[in-house]
Amino acid sequence: MTGTLEFDAIGTRWWIRAGGLSEELAARVRERIEEFDGAWSRFRADSLVSRWAADWDDRVPGERTLALPAEAAPLGRLYRELHELTEGSVTPFLGDSLVRLGYDASYSLVPHGPAIPAPAWGTEARWEGSTITASAPVLLDIGAAGKGLLVDLVCGILSEAGLPEFLVDAGGDLRHHGPGAERIALESPFDSSRAIGVVALRSSALAASGTSRRAWGDGLHHVLDGLTGEPVRRVVASWVLAPEAMLADGLATALFFVPGAELETRYGVEWLSVHSDGHAEGSAYFLEGLF
Amino acid sequence: MTTSTPSLKVLAGTAAGLAVLAGATACAPAKQGSPTAEVSPTGGGSSAAAAPATPGHYKDGTYSADGHYTSPNGEETVGVTLTLASGKVSDVQITTHPTSANTQLFQGRFAGGIKDLVVGKSVDELDVTRVAGSSLTSGGFKDAVEAIKKQAS
Repeated sequence: MTGTLEFDAIGTRWWIRAGGLSEELAARVRERIEEFDGAWSRFRADSLVSRWAADWDDRVPGERTLALPAEAAPLGRLYRELHELTEGSVTPFLGDSLVRLGYDASYSLVPHGPAIPAPAWGTEARWEGSTITASAPVLLDIGAAGKGLLVDLVCGILSEAGLPEFLVDAGGDLRHHGPGAERIALESPFDSSRAIGVVALRSSALAASGTSRRAWGDGLHHVLDGLTGEPVRRVVASWVLAPEAMLADGLATALFFVPGAELETRYGVEWLSVHSDGHAEGSAYFLEGLF
Repeated sequence: MTTSTPSLKVLAGTAAGLAVLAGATACAPAKQGSPTAEVSPTGGGSSAAAAPATPGHYKDGTYSADGHYTSPNGEETVGVTLTLASGKVSDVQITTHPTSANTQLFQGRFAGGIKDLVVGKSVDELDVTRVAGSSLTSGGFKDAVEAIKKQAS
């Protein structure tokens, strides 16, 4: 028996195909996603990260800490690495920069004022283990790798339940487990009804990042450089194939700032980046799959 | 390598011709890369290295070259080996290095590279399970973008 589950959550469309997916298991998956969203979403006023930023009392001086769920530890470690690798361009402290450009909880999509850089890691804010420490209000945004982490958590539930084969698609970020390979199209950054290639996915994760979908007028989109708070320009889409979705997701974002060969050397991943002039750079795994 | 100067013309021309042919059979690529060729004498050619060449006359020997061009599958390479005897071509051998996306899809790792221009195909025409793309959006965001567009128009 192979069941397919589809639903909207965390602002995207989920599609899960799994042999032996019971109603009970599906409910557990939904609950886990809801729990994650309740802690991490800056699009919800009642989330842990939103309340922490909003309830900041300026009259009380000194540093403040935020205790996050256990899944924060590996995410924080990856963010720390990405932050170093991109010399500060990838940062989890980007929430206010995104809000400034209009990518806020109510999707106002209207910039109010010039771009602002993210608070500096170390002096103004830091992430150690599952704790955030900051000296001024910080709105966390885990857009670079959070969805990948959630895909891994969902896959963990399916694996623990003993499911032999499954494919989880969280709005274009995928992770597969099982013996057979899946053929996955790579969405064109220039026309979402078209694909620029096909690659095989087998017992690994494929994450994509792009500037075309979550974009709103006049060069504004959701991939910002933490150093300036401005949208990135040259790379328009990126893909990374890695053993786990969190790593694939985070590195797909890092590809906007770091040459892929560097990521390939350090992490042993496959990668592809498409640039605004239409040319592509990538590891042969992806290049061979391009049309 | 003075012998490579005259032979380069022959072989680059050959490689360019092949590139055009290969491009045509590969279903009209959107952008044809400029074919380039590097030539190195092999076998007897190298022994006559220092001899001056006159136009239209080439030293006897065996010459090899690789031609490069851009197909819809990316950079392709074709090898040409040409043997000259008594100033005439006595043998031509073509070596292809196919890099079909389908044959490589499930195979291992190759060196990375660059493709000049990505080409799109309609997703509906493809036999795929899913599409990996830039954070497919649901509901709210799309509605908000539509609202902004209306305000702006």
